Amino acid sequence: MRNLKIIFLTCLILASVFDLFQAYANAIAQLQDRTTIPLHSLGLQFMGLENIFKGTRTVGYYTDKDLTNPLAVAQFEQAQFMLTPTVLDLNHTQYRWDIFDCTSPQAAMQVIQRLGFRPLKINHGIILAFNPNGI
Amino acid sequence: MIYFLGILISLAVGFFSIRLLIAGRLNLIPHILLGLVFGLGIDGYTVFYTHILFNQFNRFLPVGIVTLVILILYIIQSREQLQLVSLRAKRNNLFKEIASSLKNVPRNDTLLKNTRHNGRIKKYALGLLALCVLAIPLVISAHYYPLGGWDAWSCWNLKAKFIFLGKENWKDMLSPGLWRSNTHYPILWPLINVWFWDLSGRFNQAVPMFNSIVFALLTAGILLFGIFELTGMILPSILAAVVVTALPLGVTLYTSQYSDALLGLFLLSAFISLLLAEKYKLPKLKILSMAFLGLMSFTKNEGLIAACIMALGIFWHERSHKKELKPLLFSFFIAILPTIIFTLFMAPKNEAFINGLTSMEKPASWGRLIVILIYPCFEFISGKWNGFWLLTLGGVLLAGRRLWQSTLGLMGASLILYLAVVMAYYAVNTFFEINWWLSTTLSRILFTLVPTIVLWIGVALLTPAPAKKQ
Repeated sequence: MRNLKIIFLTCLILASVFDLFQAYANAIAQLQDRTTIPLHSLGLQFMGLENIFKGTRTVGYYTDKDLTNPLAVAQFEQAQFMLTPTVLDLNHTQYRWDIFDCTSPQAAMQVIQRLGFRPLKINHGIILAFNPNGI
Repeated sequence: MIYFLGILISLAVGFFSIRLLIAGRLNLIPHILLGLVFGLGIDGYTVFYTHILFNQFNRFLPVGIVTLVILILYIIQSREQLQLVSLRAKRNNLFKEIASSLKNVPRNDTLLKNTRHNGRIKKYALGLLALCVLAIPLVISAHYYPLGGWDAWSCWNLKAKFIFLGKENWKDMLSPGLWRSNTHYPILWPLINVWFWDLSGRFNQAVPMFNSIVFALLTAGILLFGIFELTGMILPSILAAVVVTALPLGVTLYTSQYSDALLGLFLLSAFISLLLAEKYKLPKLKILSMAFLGLMSFTKNEGLIAACIMALGIFWHERSHKKELKPLLFSFFIAILPTIIFTLFMAPKNEAFINGLTSMEKPASWGRLIVILIYPCFEFISGKWNGFWLLTLGGVLLAGRRLWQSTLGLMGASLILYLAVVMAYYAVNTFFEINWWLSTTLSRILFTLVPTIVLWIGVALLTPAPAKKQ
């Protein structure tokens, strides 16, 4: 039994050393990494809109992207995080302010014109439009 | 700077509360660590109640209430000490002459005591050094992911921002349109973040990042010094903390700013308190244990399930101590009250739930059940765990029957029952495709249990079995 405990302790020491070594190796790699673009950079393109939405509880968020694609969902959720405490109502455009995040700016402009909205701002293909009849 | 002030205030609240409960009979470092965990929980609850009662952000209310609590606790503490000093002074008068005659005689036992004391201090210093070594990869990883993982910005930090910036509309975080952010989940981690923002008066993304590091180090510290308190062996205690905190998957999950880390911390704190209560014969520490379970219920729905299972287990374990049961029940009720309020009166329906037992469209199937039973085997041998589960298996086999005796038995049974309930939920809720769901969540479920499992096995291996009652 004593021998088994010694073997177990040896394994535990080896596992700890290995974990620690790997954790430090990962940390060094992270310190040197300048290439990876993290997912949360998706939200940066919505920065600044929170100043326009001050005091607005809900705005519309229209997208023609496939929402089974994780990247499209990530973009929407990043937008929501950046613009909190304003709630983004996905694919509803009855509000005074509506964000159009489409596969192309042309596709977004077509929808905006069809709805009779006024485009106000464009940033990285994302368009903020004003709905004169919005709530 | 304000962040560290917040930590100090939390520490003061927790420290004085525990001191009041057990009259300062716990060693300083575990007392500080458990105090900080408890204090952070109390701060989160204060923010919750002030928002519930006044329905809006007011930075002075939570901060003022917590400061008042510290003052009250300090006054009570000082009074008790004053009474103790006067009692000692009276006693000293009686033995004054004997004491003065012994004063100049060299005492061998004092020398021995000093040597033991110095040895203990060295061990504590070694433990603290180990925590510093563990902190470095955590800090770098947290800085690498300043916004945390996906669920951090789509769920936990999103809710924190709503509570803090939403003013009187803070309940907009529960809007049906936000169902992707798990609106039905309890909110203790976001509330703790808000506590720090309340203190500084502004939103700062660094707070959840710092909190993720603090929670990871608290887990490591409580595990390390908890095992040391219970066994007196520093090397195995350090190894236990390293194996939990330096695991690369663990580093990633700790710095992802997910509530799972907080759940794991409260679970560990609850069982450490329970084991220390037995070792030092401090039944009042069990009250703290129940409070930690109550706090755990407000971290995640899984925490609520675990808290109920473990609280029932402790009540059953303590059934023969009828006098002790009442305060345990009371402290658990007080600590679980915010979860009850939130779950019954605030939380919207879980939109990601289909009852597979009744659903015709997505019924629970045998195939699903087989996947649920087989998948964990692949998870256990997966490379991301660096052989942790094989080591666990070795520890379980080596500890044998000791794992199932007394409080350790209660721990083991609670962990198994909790995992069984989680597996049953995977089988019944057919909303998600099972392979995808298991691949994204099972490792997190296991991650929350890892510190407690290491404590369970570590204590079983390093302490002798309790003597049988005559």
